[in-house]
Amino acid sequence: MKSSSLTRAVLSTVLQPVFSTRPNPGRTVACSVAPPKPKVPLYQRPPAFRAALSELKKWHVWAKNQAAAVGSTFLDLDDGPDSTLLLRELNWLVEDALEQPSLLSPKNSSSNYDDAAPVSIRACLDDLYKLWKQRIEERRPFQYVVGCEHWRDLILSVEEGVLIPRPETEIIVDLVDDAVRGNEELRNGIWADLGTGSGALAIAVARILGVGSGRVVATDLSPVAVAVASYNVERYNLQNRIAVRLGSWFDPLEDVEGELCGLVSNPPYIPSEDIDGLQAEVSKHEPRLALDGGANGMNDLIHLCNGAASMLKPGGFFAFETNGETQSKCLVDYMDTKMKGSFYSINITPDFAGIQRFVTGYRA
Amino acid sequence: MSSLVLKRSRNNITIRSFDLKIRLLTRLFSSFCEPHLHNSPIPTHKRTVSASDSAFLAKKNNGFYSYLHGNWKMPCGCNFSRFLSSQAAVEASTFDGLTVEGIIANNWVIYDENESDWKSHAAAIAQSIHLIRKRLRWKKLIPKLEILSEQLNKPDLWDDPARAGKISREHGSIMVKMKEVNAFEQELFEHIDMIKLAREDNDAELESESLQALLTLRRNIKEKELEALLTGEHDSCSCFIEVQAGAGGTESMDWASMVMQMYVKWAEGRGFGVTVVDEMPGELAGIKRATIKVDGEYAFGYAKAEVGSHRLVRISPFDSNKRRHTSFASVAVIPILGDGFSRFQINESDLRIERYRSGGAGGQSVNTTDSAVRITHIPTGITASCQNERSQHQNKASAMSVLQSRLDQLEMERQAKINAEHTQSLTDINFGSQIRSYVLHPYRMVKDHRTDYEVSDPDSVLQGDLDGFILSYLSASLDKNEDDDP
Repeated sequence: MKSSSLTRAVLSTVLQPVFSTRPNPGRTVACSVAPPKPKVPLYQRPPAFRAALSELKKWHVWAKNQAAAVGSTFLDLDDGPDSTLLLRELNWLVEDALEQPSLLSPKNSSSNYDDAAPVSIRACLDDLYKLWKQRIEERRPFQYVVGCEHWRDLILSVEEGVLIPRPETEIIVDLVDDAVRGNEELRNGIWADLGTGSGALAIAVARILGVGSGRVVATDLSPVAVAVASYNVERYNLQNRIAVRLGSWFDPLEDVEGELCGLVSNPPYIPSEDIDGLQAEVSKHEPRLALDGGANGMNDLIHLCNGAASMLKPGGFFAFETNGETQSKCLVDYMDTKMKGSFYSINITPDFAGIQRFVTGYRA
Repeated sequence: MSSLVLKRSRNNITIRSFDLKIRLLTRLFSSFCEPHLHNSPIPTHKRTVSASDSAFLAKKNNGFYSYLHGNWKMPCGCNFSRFLSSQAAVEASTFDGLTVEGIIANNWVIYDENESDWKSHAAAIAQSIHLIRKRLRWKKLIPKLEILSEQLNKPDLWDDPARAGKISREHGSIMVKMKEVNAFEQELFEHIDMIKLAREDNDAELESESLQALLTLRRNIKEKELEALLTGEHDSCSCFIEVQAGAGGTESMDWASMVMQMYVKWAEGRGFGVTVVDEMPGELAGIKRATIKVDGEYAFGYAKAEVGSHRLVRISPFDSNKRRHTSFASVAVIPILGDGFSRFQINESDLRIERYRSGGAGGQSVNTTDSAVRITHIPTGITASCQNERSQHQNKASAMSVLQSRLDQLEMERQAKINAEHTQSLTDINFGSQIRSYVLHPYRMVKDHRTDYEVSDPDSVLQGDLDGFILSYLSASLDKNEDDDP
């Protein structure tokens, strides 16, 4: 492995932050190919474009009509978004794209702001038309349209090639919070987020661990994901506490085998044959690599489960997200039988929709 | 002493005539002969002249300070209660015996502010003082202050620091209010005296200065009239406003959204911050219910006047037969308590948290920007939801704050039942009672059933022009049954 020396350098800062007073310049993405440059979320771009308020209002009316015309078509077709949801997304698009979003709010309709006056926007008017067309006609996920996802208390940059973090996954962070509360050994240890995607879990976990000696290593097989995750880590100024590495699951973690205090993952878990039937936003736009869990969706979960036994140190905590009750039970059953004695306090936790979503436990 | 007198006098108006200075001084010193003045521990219910006020300032402040700290000396305490009990009987007045009541009894015509007529200004100010006292429930304040002082005097007061803090806070706030009104009264008499004096001396400049000062006072005290309406314990808080559509399908859901829009515009017009927390749209139009958060000082104090059922009569645009419909929307207002208040303790394990509109597999299978959350407090069955934030975490936090405020309010109502004194702001108001009608057909009118306040332009009201209704209700509810109270 070409990058292994670099990987070791990264690791030394992760393992021995006390001895490393200066940040290591070679610490960033361990990636042999030049990584793609992640896109800046719309809301963070400079308001470098101008359009007359009247033109913007015209666009807004057009966009609203587009959204309203959808009705429940997508909902009936594939559980996609209905008009209500699309209209709310449109409000958020306005929020992200305009320097003064309130100019387009209905409450301001009677205000004496001059219709001909130029308004500052963060994308040109043509692009606003294009973006909303993509949202409605191509069913491009809203989060790719605005280039970000609000997740927990974070705003994460996302783009094509990276799974958009789901609200359900937020709960894993709460589970980690519960696990490290009153357990300083876990709080100050090394954690791993495998298949990090946008870096959501790694960043949220690092923030939960706090400013002690706790560190997080995030891995992903996709160079795009590694680039986006690194970008998000930088946006939250966590470069000193999170290392992002390219590679499959545990591969980039050989050097910390048996040393991990915590392991979290939201691996692909959708059965291969189900993917084409999902709503267009997911099936046509999100990376299959982040979704497809093999024939029964369990391939990666089982792999993670096996790896957890050797990678975690005794007393180390793990939390995995699954497709629901069947997979959670199946995974627990696997741990109880095939890996008997490896783990204890194995637990299934539901998400807020009541679906048995998460499997947690500790290395024996 | 004389320098003090002059200094204070200059603060109000410039006295150029040396003669006048001398004459004023003579009068001031003669007024010291009244024994009442020298003992008064708080300023000015009995007529005091500015000079004496200043002369005693230091002493009084000390007294007030130590008083707040529970070290009130007995002799002063005795004086203080005597002062209070005699207060109603002793009227403040000008040199020639003109009192607030006297001015009102004179029935001087009150002209527009622009008219330079001192009697008109004086009458307006006297009426404001009278009204403010009524709103503050002056007659009840005095015995209340006495009771609080007694409690503050008890040696075991600080055994319970929380209670002691509450008592001394309440005592302090009553003192401040009373001092403020008394200071207005005193200033009124000062200006009147000055005007009369100036006239005797044909000092046109002084007269005009005093008249101007009287006008300023008139304007200032008018504002205080409104402030005196908002003296409830939680009035200064921000609040949530919730609107719920009554029975009647789309027409009443449309009405509910009109009512909500009315509050959004009203709140924005008042300079409050408005955020939509929760909104449940109707199938065809309008809303089933919605909650907004109104941020700003006295948001609750004003908005609490809107609690109840609002009735709309119009030809429904949703009725193809163009029939007249009557629909209802109910409004609830919940204060958001600040740090100073004790909050209801929520036990994590008493909560049930759910995705609001969930279905299907969830997780990676679904990409939705909808992350609405509903939280149920199981022991009380109270729920709160939020869906307008962009992450589930924030929807949850926002729903939690609504839930917390609802539980706080429930707790306050429970406490109010125990302690009958605080019933006024909250339990007077019945969520279901009809408070106002908005008639768009066959005639056009908005009428408040509690105050009979009405306007003939429903459009302006629906655009948020609500202050007339709110202020008339607040003053009616505070001013009623207090007619004998000065």
